[in-house]
Amino acid sequence: MNLAMQIAANGLMIGLVYVLMALGFTMIFGVMRIVNFAHGTLYMVGGYCVYLLYGKLSFNYGLTIVAAGAAVGLIGLVAERLLFRRTMGNELSGMIMALALAIALQALAQIIFGPDEHTIPRPVSGALFIGEIFIPKDRLVVGGGALAILAVFYWMLKYTRVGLGMRAAAQDAEIAALQGIHPKRMYAYAFVVGSVLAGLAGALMAPIYTIDPHMGEFPMLKAFVVVILGGLGSIPGAVLGGLLIGIIESGFATILGATKAAIISFSLVIVVIMLRPQGLLGKVTR
Amino acid sequence: MKPANVIYTVLLLAVVGGAPFIIHDAYLIHIGIMIFLGIVVALSMNLMLKLGQLTLAHGAFFGLGAYASALFVMRLQLPFPVAFLLAGGSSALMAAIFGPVFLRVKGVYFALLTFAFGQVLNLIFQEWVDLFGGNNGLFGIPKPNIFGLRIVTPQDFYFFTFILATAVYLFIVALYKSRIGSIIAALDESEPLSQSFGLNPLAWRTAMFVVSSFIVGLAGSVYAHYVGIISPEAFTFWVVVDALVINVVGGLALPIGSVIGAVLLVPLPELLRDTQQFQKLLFGIIVMLALIFLPQGVISLKRIFRSK
Repeated sequence: MNLAMQIAANGLMIGLVYVLMALGFTMIFGVMRIVNFAHGTLYMVGGYCVYLLYGKLSFNYGLTIVAAGAAVGLIGLVAERLLFRRTMGNELSGMIMALALAIALQALAQIIFGPDEHTIPRPVSGALFIGEIFIPKDRLVVGGGALAILAVFYWMLKYTRVGLGMRAAAQDAEIAALQGIHPKRMYAYAFVVGSVLAGLAGALMAPIYTIDPHMGEFPMLKAFVVVILGGLGSIPGAVLGGLLIGIIESGFATILGATKAAIISFSLVIVVIMLRPQGLLGKVTR
Repeated sequence: MKPANVIYTVLLLAVVGGAPFIIHDAYLIHIGIMIFLGIVVALSMNLMLKLGQLTLAHGAFFGLGAYASALFVMRLQLPFPVAFLLAGGSSALMAAIFGPVFLRVKGVYFALLTFAFGQVLNLIFQEWVDLFGGNNGLFGIPKPNIFGLRIVTPQDFYFFTFILATAVYLFIVALYKSRIGSIIAALDESEPLSQSFGLNPLAWRTAMFVVSSFIVGLAGSVYAHYVGIISPEAFTFWVVVDALVINVVGGLALPIGSVIGAVLLVPLPELLRDTQQFQKLLFGIIVMLALIFLPQGVISLKRIFRSK
């Protein structure tokens, strides 16, 4: 029982970060129909922002996370304007554009910071015991931070005009345009918000793992899995999928080891697509 | 083809094929080999793109060919030509088993499905240490021996991969020109219409997936015996990315686009290894510019010039 609780707690904390990654990814796909292969590199940029501002310049950790989100959002804005707007309407070109952006950003990070791994001093250390469950405090900060970001995101999506516009554009771009929702503006919003979420995820996770130019690849794989499981373009699906994958993986990783856990989660995805291509909570596209 | 074009083509092939007699620089020969392998992988991707089905599992299928070939030669002592064909056969078999299931889904779902499948295969390469050697992979893969003809030096491999690339290219061109080519185009154009003519879309898609996987498996085999060491990291999704980018930059519409793309792009990261990161940056930027300014690929330049 204690083991199960421990697995659930670990899974929940890591799952929340998966949700952050997956939400941005799924929103960019839902609104823009772009499979954003650059999502992992945006996460990586968020990590390097923390490395630079908190690790090197010792700014306040909380402020650093906000700054990282803003910086990555800015990159997203520029990328949307200069690159993705030109491939609009072509899924294949959009996907390759994202790959090109990922390659370029990764190379840039390696040119600027070198290929080595960096570590960042942990802003909090120690652990809590709730009953018999062991919870490292830094993980708790990550989980709590992710939860706070998710709350803000939910509020934005649910109660602001921009959020309403994005949801409408994701459901049906043409009808949204008929209602006076400017599709191009929604594309920009979606890409920026998606980028900010990736950057924040990278910033939150930066002190837990090491920082290197490839640090975003693994979280992006996770975002893939989560989004396919939950349904491409489905926001509730990303939340459900992220938490599910977090808990499933934490369970299998404890019992079987990380690689086998990854094989199982990818196999699960294959089964889901074959039985329900639209994912657990996705809608059937016309 | 016009007689003049035939002469040009033969001349070009003769120059490219005969290059090692004049150029002795080992590094340039190596780049030539990588270009020819790039052409073969890109052409196998082109066939899938013609179907409108973007497979992201071809990196793993390339690896499957490489591992299969190495294992058939090293463990079972099969002669190279047999292992070579079985390598293509292994990838083709995988496609034949999973194709009928995977190809039911379309578009981005097929892409993501094959992506996940490629990941699983790659993780199996890493995890099944007894067979695939885990993360260290397999090493000491012997050089090919084709019925007494030994392929050892880079020059030998140059000729071998040159012949392979030419053969695959001619095969793909012939395939597109044949009745099968029209069927492929019809499937991509309108599935209901092709069904109304009595075609079975799933069967045709599967058949083409098998052919494409066979080709990429052959490329994997040659790669394995050329480099002599293979490990899972060579068979990730990035193999597909390179092949995809080659096709998009060269131009998807014609197989020659895959060739032009490979000739332009394969040397980029290979050249100037010490400034590899700048090369990658350049590679990314070139792809961005190509997508913005030449969305139909380099082959569309011909049309642009003609219309002027």
